[in-house]
Amino acid sequence: MATRQAERSRDVPGASPRRSRRWTGYHAAMRRRPWLLLAPALATLALLLVWPLGRVVWLSFQKYGLKELNKGTTNFIGFDNYAEIFGGSYLYTVVLPNTIGFAVVCVVLTVVLGTLIALFLNGLPPLWRYVTSTAIMVAWAVPAVTGTYVWAFIFEPSNGLATNLFDSLGLMEAGSVNWFLDRLSFYAIATLNVVHHSIPFVAVTVLAGLMTIPGELYEAAEIDGAGKWRQFWTITAPTLRPVFAVVTILSTIWDFKVFTQIWLMPGGGGTNPQVFNLGVWSYVQSFAQGKYGMGSAIAVVLTLVLMLVTIIYLRTLFKEDEQL
Amino acid sequence: MKTRITPRRVTRWSLQGVGVIACICFFLLPAYWMMSTAIDPEAAFRGGNLLPSGFTLTHFHEVLGRAGFGRFMLNSLLVAGVTVLLSGLLALLAAVAVARFRFKARTSILVMILIAQMVPLEALVIPLFLQARSLHMLNSLLGLSVVYLAFSIPFAVWMLRGFVAAVPIEVEEAAYVDGASWWRMFWSVLFPLVAPGLVATSVFSFITAWNEFIFALTFLQDDSKFTVAIGLQRFFGQNTADWGPVMAASTLITIPVIIFFVAVQRNLVSGLSAGAVKG
Repeated sequence: MATRQAERSRDVPGASPRRSRRWTGYHAAMRRRPWLLLAPALATLALLLVWPLGRVVWLSFQKYGLKELNKGTTNFIGFDNYAEIFGGSYLYTVVLPNTIGFAVVCVVLTVVLGTLIALFLNGLPPLWRYVTSTAIMVAWAVPAVTGTYVWAFIFEPSNGLATNLFDSLGLMEAGSVNWFLDRLSFYAIATLNVVHHSIPFVAVTVLAGLMTIPGELYEAAEIDGAGKWRQFWTITAPTLRPVFAVVTILSTIWDFKVFTQIWLMPGGGGTNPQVFNLGVWSYVQSFAQGKYGMGSAIAVVLTLVLMLVTIIYLRTLFKEDEQL
Repeated sequence: MKTRITPRRVTRWSLQGVGVIACICFFLLPAYWMMSTAIDPEAAFRGGNLLPSGFTLTHFHEVLGRAGFGRFMLNSLLVAGVTVLLSGLLALLAAVAVARFRFKARTSILVMILIAQMVPLEALVIPLFLQARSLHMLNSLLGLSVVYLAFSIPFAVWMLRGFVAAVPIEVEEAAYVDGASWWRMFWSVLFPLVAPGLVATSVFSFITAWNEFIFALTFLQDDSKFTVAIGLQRFFGQNTADWGPVMAASTLITIPVIIFFVAVQRNLVSGLSAGAVKG
């Protein structure tokens, strides 16, 4: 292993292995250089990412409120915060379904619809492909904040676009139902918002992958009598496995962390505990109720869940390609 | 060359046409609804009317004048600008290190950068808020842009790495043959070649900082320091919303992002797939 590394380090441009001994100073400089280049970025990340994460774990073992904050004291209570989180039924009946169930539905819908749209775009003539993918890029570009406000407006109980549409179809009476109060319909709207916003990334990435597959493969399959369905599963899917792995795991990570799209919906900003997910719950505990210790413990749980997803992600990536 | 028109082709074309229209309608709906409401004089009573009832700029006048939204846009511009400059510089150096050098910790650093992208902001916001509070930096726009480095740097390194790796190594070797030092080669050869990738990455960092919500919501308490993402809340009452101005302000936030996105569309895709897929 060590010798392999040493051999690799000789591949560095300019550091040719055939140079003589008086070049050792140069070699040392070349060995130091990557660290010199990395130092500013790594130092910033240590300060803004690693250290705060350590502090959040440290806080999660304390009863830390405004009193402790103003006095600058600590107040360790061991695992009490975690016991409170895992001991009650609120986590299992409300928060976890809102976090995990929502993420799973969003990821499945995003990846399936995104792939279908990529396949559709791939079959279009170039001009139409350009026009359609530009429209899709616009959906990606609309910021989460403004997008959420627009969906809230569309589903506004008394006079929204969707409300009026359903009213004119005779499905319901405008003003009779407030979708934002009910947990399921609240999350149905959130799902529509998040999926609409994340399909473009999947569609565009899968399309980029599709365009690298040589057309001869499909022609050969056609001659062998394979239908479209068969072609997708025997050519497209295996070739694009790494692409699918990346978009699935990235979507999973993103959809677990959804905060803005929930927070800004009517009732999502802390007034209705039935619609909290892990992120919103942690935020409300910390900043609305001043229980920073409890909020930190919830944030640690969220981070651990995401860590698990990331480990799966890295394993898939490394299985695909040993050398990163 | 003339394509023969067969019944099968006609069906295919019409199906594609329906698909194109469906895609465009579905994906443009929120953007269209936002912009058409922004110019509708009767915005609040629009209901299900697909077309606006007229054309007016009063909502924009109100947003920029009385509500002082221009100030928020300047604040956002400042925060995003500083974030882009700092993260672009730091990430470019780091990307060159991981794309061009083979050293022992390289893989671990790449893994760490991947993991950094997974960290939820909800976990960072508590400790960073407490820290900023004790340093009396809560209402500082500069402090906010430094905080944004935490998530813009990992992403930018990941993306730039693909662009740096795409520059053929022979170009660098030619510079050495001409007697250039490493730094000389970096600034006069590598940097210009990576510049398009740097632009795409910068646009991405800019958009992230411009749109960021949770840190801005937590850190900025003084009205005059608001960024656009939280400035929008000003148009919401206890149970009501002033939809005309909300949508006008949303339009002002969204238009620059859309322009940027469509402009870097090509680079973005190649950068993302190079960084994320080819490895």
